[in-house]
Parts: sequence; C-alpha cells; structure tokens
Amino acid sequence: MSTVFTIWKKEMRVYAVNPTAYAFLAVFLFLSGLFFFLGITLTGEASLRVLASNLAIVELFILPMLTMRHFAEERRQGTLEMLLTSPISPFALVLGKWLASVTLCGLMFLGTAILPAILAYYGDPDWGVVASTYLGLLLAAAAFCAAGLFSSSLLDDQLAAGLLGIVFLLPFWLVSRAEALVGDELAERVRPFGVLNHLDSFGRGIVDSADVYYFAALAFCFLFLTYRALESRRWR
Amino acid sequence: MAVSQRKRRFAAGSNAFLMSAVMIAVACVGYLLVDLHRIRYDLSADQGSVLLADTRTKLALLDRDGEPVVVTAFSGQRGKKETYFKDRALQDLIDELDFASQVVEVHFVDLDKDRLTAEKLGVTDYSTVVVQRGQARVDIKDRELFRRVGTGNDRRLDFLGEQAVARAFAQLTADNHRIVYTLVGHGELDPQKSDLGGLSEVAAVLQQDDYELKKLDFVRQTDFPVPRVPDDAAAVAVLRPRVPIPPLEEDLLLAYLAGGGSLLIAVDPDSPVPGILGRLGVAIPSGRVLDKMLVFPYPDRPVPRYKGHVITRDLAEDNLVTVVSSAAPVQPSVPPMEGIRSSIVLETSREGWIDRGGEVRSGQGVYEPDIDGAGPVSMAVALEVSSDSGLVSRGNARVLVSGDSEVFTNGLLAEGPGNASFVLNSFRWLVRDDDRISVVGKPAAVRRLAISVEDIEQIRWLALGMGPILVLLLGAGVWAARRGR
Amino acid sequence: MIEVIGLHKAYGPRLALRDVSFNVAKGEIAAFLGPNGAGKTTTMRILTGFLPADAGEVRVAGFDVFDDPHAVRQRVGYLPETPPLYPELSVGVYLDFCAELRGMARKDRSRRVGETMERVGLVGWERRLLGSLSKGYRQRVGLAQAILHDPPVLILDEPTSGLDPAQVAGIRDLVLSLAGDHTVILSTHILSEVEALCPRAVVIANGQIVADGAIEELRGRAAGGPWTYVEVQGIEGPQLGRLPGVKLVEPLGEVNGWAAWRVRAEGDPREGLAASAASGAFRVRALERRLPSLEEAFISIVGREGTAA
Repeated sequence: MSTVFTIWKKEMRVYAVNPTAYAFLAVFLFLSGLFFFLGITLTGEASLRVLASNLAIVELFILPMLTMRHFAEERRQGTLEMLLTSPISPFALVLGKWLASVTLCGLMFLGTAILPAILAYYGDPDWGVVASTYLGLLLAAAAFCAAGLFSSSLLDDQLAAGLLGIVFLLPFWLVSRAEALVGDELAERVRPFGVLNHLDSFGRGIVDSADVYYFAALAFCFLFLTYRALESRRWR
Repeated sequence: MAVSQRKRRFAAGSNAFLMSAVMIAVACVGYLLVDLHRIRYDLSADQGSVLLADTRTKLALLDRDGEPVVVTAFSGQRGKKETYFKDRALQDLIDELDFASQVVEVHFVDLDKDRLTAEKLGVTDYSTVVVQRGQARVDIKDRELFRRVGTGNDRRLDFLGEQAVARAFAQLTADNHRIVYTLVGHGELDPQKSDLGGLSEVAAVLQQDDYELKKLDFVRQTDFPVPRVPDDAAAVAVLRPRVPIPPLEEDLLLAYLAGGGSLLIAVDPDSPVPGILGRLGVAIPSGRVLDKMLVFPYPDRPVPRYKGHVITRDLAEDNLVTVVSSAAPVQPSVPPMEGIRSSIVLETSREGWIDRGGEVRSGQGVYEPDIDGAGPVSMAVALEVSSDSGLVSRGNARVLVSGDSEVFTNGLLAEGPGNASFVLNSFRWLVRDDDRISVVGKPAAVRRLAISVEDIEQIRWLALGMGPILVLLLGAGVWAARRGR
Repeated sequence: MIEVIGLHKAYGPRLALRDVSFNVAKGEIAAFLGPNGAGKTTTMRILTGFLPADAGEVRVAGFDVFDDPHAVRQRVGYLPETPPLYPELSVGVYLDFCAELRGMARKDRSRRVGETMERVGLVGWERRLLGSLSKGYRQRVGLAQAILHDPPVLILDEPTSGLDPAQVAGIRDLVLSLAGDHTVILSTHILSEVEALCPRAVVIANGQIVADGAIEELRGRAAGGPWTYVEVQGIEGPQLGRLPGVKLVEPLGEVNGWAAWRVRAEGDPREGLAASAASGAFRVRALERRLPSLEEAFISIVGREGTAA
C-alpha cells in the first residue's frame, strides 16, 4: 500500500504546481460563493442547503475536468508506459490517483470554509447539519472523481476524456429529476440511482447508511472499471 | 505456443469483462440489502430531521394495520418569503414519512400547477396537508403546520407539521376516543382555563391522541339518579383539590376503581391529602422535595430522575428532562400492601431530601438531618391494583400519584424538553394506551440570519471575491517561485 | 536472460511483428537494429509487458511476461522511446519518485539517486524542472530512471536519439560500464553506435528478423563480401578489369590525381595486382583489402529482405 502513497504524493506535487488546478479551484470557490450568496439572500436562513444542492451539480461538471488529465496526460507524456512497467499494481496506481483527487476536493471544500464562518458570524448555523452537508458533498466528489478517472483511462484526448466523464455522470443526475421526463412509476423505480436523492438527506443533517453506501459503491465501481481498463492493455 | 497466447488473452479479456459485470451487479444487490436495513444518524442539533419516536410509533401502528394511508402536501403561495421554508419543511417531512412507513404514500403537489389534484381533494388553501385513510380524511391547515413566534429580529417560523400529521394519524386509526374526567368542586385545577395554572394546552396535547378532558362534578351531576363516575370514563383525574374531598365522593372514586378504573391523583406540598391514598398504601409526608441539583434559577424545582417505569422509558432513553415544581414526597408503603404493585416514576438523586423548613441559605433550603427526611425521595408513584387487594372486583385498577400538580398545567408544559411527553405518556398509561407511549417532540425552528443591507455588500465580497482571489494569488506565487528553474 | 520465441503482433490489419525469435544471454549487450517503423519499439514494449503479443512467448530473467508481469517488471529497467518525464517535477523529486515506485527504502533511495545522477552526469541538476531540460538532459534523466534500481535487465529504446556526439559518447561509456553483470538490449537506427557498443546485433525490418549475429559476421555476409581498394595511375577501368582474377571494377573517384577503384575478384586479387604493377603496366599507390561498412551491410540486408517481403 505504500505505492498508493507514493502515487498520491506525486499527484499532489503535480497538482500543487498545475495552473489548471488553481484555475478550477478559483472557479469552484467563485461558484460556491455565488450559490451561497444567492441562497442566503433569497432565504435569509443560516444554512448551506441551497449551496449544497447546487454545488453537487457544479461538482458533476468540474470534477471530470479536474481528473481528465490523469491518464490522458500520462499517456501523452509517455509516463504511463513507465508506471505500467514499474513493479506496482495498476490498482495501486488508480487508488493513489483517486485519493489525490479526493484530497484536492477536500482542499476545495476547506477553501469554502469561509461560508459557514459567515453564517456563524451573522447567525447560528446548525453545525451538525453543516458537517453532514460537507460529508455528503465530499462523498459525491469521491464518486465523481472515480468516474472522471475512468473516462480518462479510456481516451487519449484530455478534453474528450473530461466530456466523457460528464456524460458518464449525467444519467445519475437526470434520474434524480426523472419525474419530469418519464412516468411516475418508472421515475420511482430509477430514483435510487439518482445522485441528488442521496444528497438530500445529508443536507438535512441525516447520515444514512444507504446514502453512504450509494456513493461508496459508485466510486468503487468506477475505480474497478478504471483498473480493468488499464489492465486491458495486457490482453487487448 | 502461438495459439496458447491468443487463448490466454481471450481468457483474460473475457474474465475482465465478466468480473466488471459481476462487480457492478454485486454493488447493486448490495444497495438493495443496505436499503432494507438502513442506519440513520441525525447530526442536526435539534434532531429535527428524523421523525420523532412518537410519530414512528404511530407509523408502526399504521403499518401493522396495513391499510394504505395517503399524505398529500400542497405547496405554499409563490412569491412569499416564507414559502421556501414551508415547502421545504413539508417536503422533508413527507420524505421522512415515505421512508419510515410501508403503507404511507406521499405526494407533494404544486397547488398552482396541479389543479386537478387540488380540485379532486377540494383543497383551495396553500400549504395544506391532506391525510387520507380509506374513506376517512383529515385536513391540516397552514396555521396548524406553521407557527410564527416572537417579534422583530427574534421572529421565527416554527414547523409543527410532524405533530399535526401524527395527530391526524391518531385520529384516523381505529376509534381511539377516550374521555378523561377531571374532578371539580374542591378548588381543583381547571381544564378549561388557559392561564399558567390552567389545563387548556394540556388538553390540546391530549387531543393529539384523541383524548378528551371533561369535568366531573359529583355535586351538580344530573345525568344519573345517583352520582357516579360515568361509564365512558377512561380515567379520572383528581388534580390538587384545595379542600378535602368529602368521604361520599371518595367512596364514588373507590367504587370506580373497584370496576378496574384508572385514577390520577396530583397533590402539592400544602394541599389536603385525599383519604383514598391511605387505602392504597401511599403516604404523603409533610415537607417539600429538594435536591442538590435544581432547575436554574428556581429554589424549589428538583431535577427528577426516571426509574424505568413505562411512562418514562422513552424519556430516559432520549435523555429528556422533565421539570417539576415544588413537589411533595410520595411514599408507597413498605412492605407493599397485598395486591398492589407500586413502582416509582420520578425520584430525586441520592442527594435529595424532604425539606421541613429550618435553615435557608442564599434562598435555598439546606439538608438538616434532625428535621429533614433523607433521600432519595420519590415524587411520583404508579400503582397497579389487583383483586388480591380487596379494593378491586373486576380487572386491574391503575393509579398514578404525583407529588406535584403543576407538572400537569400549561405553565410547565413547555418548561422541560420532556414535560409534554411526560404528561401525555401519563394519560396514555392511565387509559391503557401503552403501545403509544413515546416522546412528543418540540417544534423544528428555522434558523435565521440577521443581515443588514450594509452587511450584504460585505458578504458578497467575502463569499464571491476572497476565495478565488486568494487562490489565484497563491497560484501566481507558485508560478513565480518556479520560474527559471 | 531474454528469450523471445515466435512473436506475432498486429495493429488492426497491419502486421507489426512476424515470427520474431531471438535470445540474449546474461551479461550480453545486444543492439536491436532496424529502420523506423520496423517493429523495434513494439518488440520492446512487449518485452516489458506494456503491450501484449498476439502470439509467441517472451521470457525475461526466467519469467513469462504474460503470466508473471510483476516479477518481470521488478527485474527490468526500461527507457521508452520518449523519456517518461513529468514536466512539473524537478529532477531530484522525479528520481526519488521513481525509486519509491521500485520499492526502495527511504535511506537507500537518496543514496541510489545520488549515485545514479553522478553516473549519468546530472550532478548539480537536482532542482531543475524536467520541463525546462534540453533533449540531452531529458535523455539522461530517462536513462537514470531506468538504471536507478540496478536491474539485471535493461531495455533501452533509442537511448541516443537526438543527442550530440559528445553526449552519445557519454551514453556509450555508460552502457559499456553496465556490461558484464547487466543484460542490455538497446534499439537504434544509428549504426556507428552499434559498432562502438555491441558485439551483437539483431536486425529487424518490416517486422521480421532479417539478421542476427556478431557485427563482423554481419558485415562479412553483406552484399558482395570483402573487396579491394586500389589507387592507380596509368591504367583505365576496362584494362584493370581484364587483369587476371578480377571480376568487377567500380570507380570511386580521384584522389590527388590518383584514380580510386573498388575491385572485386575471386579470392584475394592483391598479389596479382601488385605483380602487374611491378611489371610496369601501371603505377599503384594503395592496395587494401576491405569489408563492407555496416551501413552497406545494413542497407544490403534490409534492402534485400525488405523488398522480398
């Protein structure tokens, strides 16, 4: 498992000097500030609920763009060849990269800590709810990063990989809003797949084992597929 | 050898595809399993997000009956500032109901858009909830769901929807109408008065379970040729008579108990003790109950402990405090009288005592072993009286004796987080609705921000500008430090 | 140390490798020689387990590349065609990362990285960013990464491409210093490099092995075999061709008024030519037996087999 840490360390170093990472971080902070501002001016409530539901969508579009470079760029630089011919398991590689992306997401959320601080200054937010909201957002981010890694492992072109990642995630967003598109019966049936349905409880302060499982399983499936896609080089 | 490589690659490839498919299938099946046995933690400060134990108990009753229940919530009026909270509160509530029960079907309807549903149900008001079960139906109006509290900056909107819906459930479940008679004519507490010493709000709480409070006046009774406790009485309450109850009336109460009735007797340290208590082996020694731990800032409100009786079981579990005021000690006879099983409901800590005057230090009584009685002191006792006692000829009688009467009044109802539940559970136990006994919640409040117009500018800059600018500066710093390397 | 048996590889309809087999013994340095697109890189990628073969067997250090890739990767140092560098990282950080990837302990790591940097001539470059390095230094870092963990087998894909002669010489010395306890296989299309480095060359063209053997042997086998270089005065080509034993003469131009010729004959014609000159028929200044150059050998082998395919 030390190889996972090795990869994580390297990815964090690359992120630290990557201008794109800073640009995305700035955009993310701006958007979260925007939704936060709109949320509190519209509702006058000391909560992050408006922010959270919008931020999940922002994550859905930004995180594949943040993770798109992972394998596509390694392939372009020729470093993937070195990594895959090194005595490390491809799964350690995938895991290390994923953990690095999740860490970056954690740092992004840390950057939004100013927002609950504003709430605390002007009101009395429910810290338990704030904590569960962040937990939900981080879990969603972890799942989205895994999807972004998977698309990055499939395509050589960075931008195409980013877009494919969004395409992978869109259905999980859309089924949350399925009532508008298909019949009630079907909507009820696909609802468990929806991202927003599982984020909702976190926004109310509830940590539900099924919601946690949903994001964990989503992340795991995408990571497993990424691993398989990398492994496929061995037999394809 | 040339062939084996192709075979091996095919095997590896199909294995990979199969493994991926199996993994995804396992993940989905896993979800079904997890979904069946959900574990939910509520991190919110007021635990306002998951349903109250009381609501869950009622939902369990509904599930046991199996008859479908439809809850339809209608949206609030668009454009109003509070509508956002109202809609969200209703949506959260019905989501939780949907989640917690198999038989409850929930709908959230936009009153402006879905006119069809609105007309079918005949709903014309915004923020209405309709609860249907078979043919029966209960409409809950906006003012029952939301309550505006406070003024000016402290103004807030409380959501009482869960209690209202729970009440509707109670009303819709099989006939549960119970009448509790309160004895009057001796200066007792008045069930209709709405001041602090009245019972009007207690009556409203009891109404949740479809319990009705009626006055019982033996003197002016005209329905019967001979005065007696009416047959429809589920329980009789004797709440702090100011003058002794005449023996004749005590005999009527004993006759009622003999038929397996239920009696609530609440006294105060200085009120006369009904003679019936002596027959039941309960003594009310003089003095008032005090404890090292008092409810701040009162000098006479000990914090009672729960003793595992069914009335306080859920309160103890959820660690909700009930507040009593100026209580008299209630002592069941030791050894117990034959045929009477007594259990202590409320008691002081070990450091409590019966204070009989003497020294007073900084407004509070002090324990003086020579005149005061040693603790722990019980303040409320529940008795179950069987026919072995010779007092009961049919079934079992239940008696709850409380050394404090104020705990049953409007004044203390909202004083402690456990008070409303304690009162309601006491009556539930008396009228033998044991399976309903649980916690009655407090309303969920909206947490408001106090922002002035000037603040808005500041917040706008803090929220939108500061983060991105700091990040860009950091990025520029990193770039500058690495230039030329 | 490296056994390759019957390797086939196709990219879609295009056959990249066809029945490629060769062996490299322990401690040997072998050159993998061939024009661009001949299949050198493909072969090397298969050797390292990065690509699968369609058919055939590859064993490196006794382990099957397909069945036991992990064991193979532990024993191989690989320099891909383009050095695998992260432009964002500095030389020191990058090499430390590579050492960590190969599972070296922390204290070994800094020692090994220092040694290796000294060996490839990167001392004092630790803090430079990889993205700002010149081609030659990128190549050095790539090479450092491959030899970092002192692997018994080294696979170097075009280690000298894009380097100036001095740098090439440096790499050559380095590779030579590795010989003995390391098995090295390097690919190149620069022939002088092969002559300087490798006693052994495997020539590949159009995905097939067209020659495999010692450099001298290859040159001897090349078109026409040995020939004789002469510089003469007072004799024309046709007359030269009619001398006894001479089969073919080709003009090679004029050197300071002397005519240079390539003379092919049965056996060694030098004695006959000297005798003729001594008889006064013409004057001779140089008379030299020569083998074809590696370039000629290479072109003749690759050209011949290439057109045959």
